[in-house]
Amino acid sequence: MGSIRTRRGLAATAGIAAIALTLTACGGSGDNAADGGNGSDDQVVIKVSTFNNFGFGAPTAQKPGADLWKKYEALHPNVKIEETVAAKSDDARAAFNTAIATGSGAFDIQAVDVDWMPSIMAQPDKFVDLTDYVKDNDWLDWKTQGATTDDGKLVGAGTDIGPEGICFRSDLLAAAGLPSDRDALKEALGGADATWDKYFELGAQYVQKSGGKAWFDSSAAVFQGMVNQIEESHVSKDGEIIAGTDAKGAQQVKADFDQLTAAALAGQSAGLAQWSDDFNAAFNTDKFATTLCPAWFINNIKGNAGEDFKGWDIADVFPGGGGNWGGSYLVVPEQSKVKEEAAKLAAWLSAPEQQVAVFSAASNYPSSPTAQADPAVAGKVDAFLNDAPVGEIFKNRAAAVTVTPFKGAQYFDIQTKLADALNRVDVTKTQTPAQSWDQWLQDVAGLQ
Amino acid sequence: MTASPVAPDKTTQSPPPPRDEAYERKLLSRGRRGRFDVKVSPYLYISPFFLLFLVTGLFPLIYTAWIATRQWNTSTGDAGWAICGKLCDSTDPSWLGNFQWVLHQPDFWLALRNSFSIFLLSTIPQIICALILAAILDANLKAKTFWRMGVLLPYVIAPSAAGIIFSQVFSDNFGVINTILDGIGLEPVQWHASQLASHVAIATIVNFRWTGYNTLILLAAMQAIPRDVFEAAVVDGAGRVRQFLSVTIPMLRPTLIFVIITSTIGGLQIFDEPQMFGNTGTPGGPDKHYLTVSLYLWDLGFNRTTIGQPNLGRAAAVAWLLFIIVVVIAILNFLITRRIASTSGAPTKKKKSAKKELAR
Repeated sequence: MGSIRTRRGLAATAGIAAIALTLTACGGSGDNAADGGNGSDDQVVIKVSTFNNFGFGAPTAQKPGADLWKKYEALHPNVKIEETVAAKSDDARAAFNTAIATGSGAFDIQAVDVDWMPSIMAQPDKFVDLTDYVKDNDWLDWKTQGATTDDGKLVGAGTDIGPEGICFRSDLLAAAGLPSDRDALKEALGGADATWDKYFELGAQYVQKSGGKAWFDSSAAVFQGMVNQIEESHVSKDGEIIAGTDAKGAQQVKADFDQLTAAALAGQSAGLAQWSDDFNAAFNTDKFATTLCPAWFINNIKGNAGEDFKGWDIADVFPGGGGNWGGSYLVVPEQSKVKEEAAKLAAWLSAPEQQVAVFSAASNYPSSPTAQADPAVAGKVDAFLNDAPVGEIFKNRAAAVTVTPFKGAQYFDIQTKLADALNRVDVTKTQTPAQSWDQWLQDVAGLQ
Repeated sequence: MTASPVAPDKTTQSPPPPRDEAYERKLLSRGRRGRFDVKVSPYLYISPFFLLFLVTGLFPLIYTAWIATRQWNTSTGDAGWAICGKLCDSTDPSWLGNFQWVLHQPDFWLALRNSFSIFLLSTIPQIICALILAAILDANLKAKTFWRMGVLLPYVIAPSAAGIIFSQVFSDNFGVINTILDGIGLEPVQWHASQLASHVAIATIVNFRWTGYNTLILLAAMQAIPRDVFEAAVVDGAGRVRQFLSVTIPMLRPTLIFVIITSTIGGLQIFDEPQMFGNTGTPGGPDKHYLTVSLYLWDLGFNRTTIGQPNLGRAAAVAWLLFIIVVVIAILNFLITRRIASTSGAPTKKKKSAKKELAR
């Protein structure tokens, strides 16, 4: 009898424990408020989400950084910063969208790629107005415009920009008997008047003289450089999808697509899908000789090739006029429990001094004119790139940018599908350019 | 409530002499409490599961059905009843709109075909391998536990970790497999460019993880088979293979059904492996060679968040279609498996009924 009773007692305890467990598990999400805290004396935890390499964290072998978290925590002893780094901006984007949509789980500061800014600018109410916090910061006009709503609210603090040069393997070019010194290559591509025609002409020569080696890494990567020079590429400024029509920008997209796929099929492309394992692994092989080089991409080349790898260099030239690829903003979602502290941190991170520190340690080029003029930036020489004066080169490259492409809400989806179209021709080699173009038009129709 | 009409019966049964009313009431209430305890507490004990299921299973299921009928954008939320739009030339709001839109998408059908192909390529060899492995592990081996643990080891690896490792193994240019193929003078396989090759590669990742798990389940079932059945088979002159086919497999029927149905559910929902396999660009690759239904759902709902598009509503419609397909396939599977196992398992059935008769 007694034993039965104890057993029953045990069972009841187990049941209660199970219920209690479920209850606490459900209540767990409410904890944020408690450890966030609003009082200035409390310990404040600021959660930051970035991707790729923003250069904010402590430096490692793969990822150079300016160790800014430590610095800020020293300045503000009550603040603790936790950074979550996604490998690619797409990974961060999916999580971010969910958090904003559901109204919970967003980071206190979210780094945002320019390509997904349109979806943020469409719902500015969900983000903190940073105007009052960034009084000490300055940015290039177009950088500020990209994060300012029509009624003057600033939702994003600019971090870096992505002015593009041409990175090249001087050893491979020398072996093929082509100009291998950065000034000679600049001249060969046409200097200030460099065109895509000349770029692909030189590519054809390289393929021939090197015995069939590829000239560039990936069609989709090169197309990023081309499309960022078109003012209205896939979407017109009044919000119409113009892909495949005779609008000026759409015709330019088609012309670029034809030129690029023709070059790829002639053996100029290494046929690597951008950001794939093969792509990453190819930077310390002799698979290809050149790649388009926005400032932040040098971090990737270094990380993939290895700091000790010799051969990579950068030329102060870009076909078809200047180009800006990427560059980011920091936004603070309204749902953040510590939005005031987060806004202060975002303002500090994007201030000129910190932009200088990031460019000195990593390669993300400042969006602030003050930072660009700083001797530490203007005079920076990169040992990995054969002592190239990167500070001066990117200053010239940024000055050469004349077009600010308009990216409407659908731009991201359409551009992704176009990268697929290029990859079908260049990477999987399953379709001809004409077939792939037609399928792209169908894909675009399916998006509507 | 049901206890009260029964209670008077019981009091009439108890001996009347001591007319202590307080004592009677005490007895009565104790009886009531006892009966309440017996009737209700078992349900309380199992309630955590059902409460949890209600919160994490049933509610999302119903809420998803609701979203599937609406024009729902990830960022901006609900915007009324669904509209199929350009594809079916209709702008009338209707609760079927998202389902129509999905069924008009060639991508959905491609994804469905890929899911089935990968599911078949993984489940069939996997269950056959698991059966054979289990039979081997069931035999008299030295260091049994070591081998049994070894079989389960791949299962311990997180699916995304296995995906990352295998995606490197299967890289087209610098992957281990292609390097070896190249080394022995064979043509490297274009794992990402060929449809069949990509399905085989993804099925390999699935098989790597799940074969051991299924092996252990089947092994447990095999060990529950009474040894005297085998002895009888041996007396009848059955060899090892014959014993396996005529005794082991029929006796495993319920477990086999379980394994096949769980594999079906897992197989049709496959997500991590193709996601990690094509670790770049659009999910499923530029040709959608390895786009599965779950990947399509995820891409639709969480990557294509263009303002103004009812992406979450459409993703929810895909989710419900997938749910229905899984249920239908699971039922079909159950019927077929029962059929197959029961035709070859006729003698066991007889044996069972004989046992029952004996028991009577």
